[in-house]
Amino acid sequence: MLRLQSSWLLEAVGEIGGVDSIFFPCFHRFSALSWLSRKEITLYLNSPIDSQAMLARAWLTSRDGGFSDKNLLKFNQVIKKPLELEMNPFKTWKERLFTSQQLDYLFYWREAAYEIDDEKQREIFWAAVYQILSYWLTSKGFVGRQTLEPDQIMAFCLEQHRSFVKGRTGRIEISNIALDELAVDRNPLVAFPLLFDDEETHETELQTVFHAWFHGHADLEQARRDIKNCLRRYLISFEKTPDYSTFVRLAANADMAVLCWSGRDLPPKLYEQEIVEPMRSAFSSRYGRSRLFFKAVDRSIDAYDYLLVFHS
Amino acid sequence: MLISVFNAVLIALVTWLAYRYFELRERTSPTEERYSQFVSGVASIVDRLEGYDAAHSLEVAQTAEKIAMADGFEGEQLQALKAAAMLHDVGETLLPREILRTADRLNDEQTYLMRTHPLLGELHLKSRMQAPDEVPAIIRWHHERWDGLGYPDNLKGEEIPKAARILAIADAISAMRHSRSYRPKQYKSQKDIDAEIERQAGLQFDPELAALWLKLSPAAGNN
Repeated sequence: MLRLQSSWLLEAVGEIGGVDSIFFPCFHRFSALSWLSRKEITLYLNSPIDSQAMLARAWLTSRDGGFSDKNLLKFNQVIKKPLELEMNPFKTWKERLFTSQQLDYLFYWREAAYEIDDEKQREIFWAAVYQILSYWLTSKGFVGRQTLEPDQIMAFCLEQHRSFVKGRTGRIEISNIALDELAVDRNPLVAFPLLFDDEETHETELQTVFHAWFHGHADLEQARRDIKNCLRRYLISFEKTPDYSTFVRLAANADMAVLCWSGRDLPPKLYEQEIVEPMRSAFSSRYGRSRLFFKAVDRSIDAYDYLLVFHS
Repeated sequence: MLISVFNAVLIALVTWLAYRYFELRERTSPTEERYSQFVSGVASIVDRLEGYDAAHSLEVAQTAEKIAMADGFEGEQLQALKAAAMLHDVGETLLPREILRTADRLNDEQTYLMRTHPLLGELHLKSRMQAPDEVPAIIRWHHERWDGLGYPDNLKGEEIPKAARILAIADAISAMRHSRSYRPKQYKSQKDIDAEIERQAGLQFDPELAALWLKLSPAAGNN
């Protein structure tokens, strides 16, 4: 779990030097970059996970309006009769994750999207499914009756997307390249949102389910392996000897590097010992100075947010 | 004999500790109360500047406290939430007055400015605090949404600290109960407000907390 606070990041690096562009070799969640995407800053975003890169394209680079009314009318249909479950590639999710009605829509939306000629429009439609999955997975079991039908929630999510992209002007480039193959251009700032190996949250579960759905299968183990494979050598593990060579390589041409993470259940001192010191040691040949910032989020559970800034 | 002596010592020790505890509580409670009243006074000034027709901050704090206590908040965690609820819109006092008192809907630029108020509130409070404290952070995130489409950081789901999620629901409930300078009162009854909270569970609000509110609401018996 990571709370990326973009304005705090800019404040922290602003004390050292101004930045007109930021390079994220691996971002953790597209919507967390919304605030930065509205600034006069060029963003170079990469996700080694194709489903996540697609979501970022749909949400952060759509400047010319959202999903068209014509497509909404054509592709947001109400399913009147239940579909044949045997035909549904996601049938093994029945009851465990979704209801029969929800599975019908997941099948229909995936197939319907291929009928959309314009790739940008198709990606916006798929991205709305991500929001719907999030809604269905996290509200399961809590509220007595969900008052929105699947077609209503689809229309609602597409409308939200339209509001979200309105007025966005920043320059954003999004890529989907494996971290080992990612070219490292000259940049004033490289940002690393840290991801932890053993962390299972609603968001990691959602990303796994969406990745499987995006690839048209129901095998969540396969999806989990795919994602982990894409993130290998980027995920932080307290179990293994730290190897931060990927981070150091990706920061090779950056004037500054910033690492951000959120911690809980452990005091700041332990994060200093387990992350800050090893990172300082790894980056020592590249940067002469570093500064650690942290903020209290909930001291009763030792929840703090951290920023570690490296510079020359 | 030995056991009796031990018991006597134990009773004396417990009595002494209890005495010390009550003495300490007596000394600190009035200060806490005075502090709370002072915060409440500041909050009422913010409400007036914002153009609310009622004591919005106090109402938000009371609703937030009700939800938080039902969820198991206590001690410092509860105090921090109450303080944040009282001061959640303090950043608005740093915005141009015409934005706060306009009778028209805000244009895009004004909306953008308005959306900086959680950041302004956090920054100003934090700049006056020596030790790390969560109150500014809770203020920063009181407009975040469960679905990740809030502001300023677009935090999503559990990333939003629970105190800020509670504050978001309490703030929305109060906003729905009252009119503002730019819009009339939107909901006729608590029942209508609760229906909207239920509709937004899992979208704008934490579904678990929304469900908790639906049990605590004054209209719970009628739902």
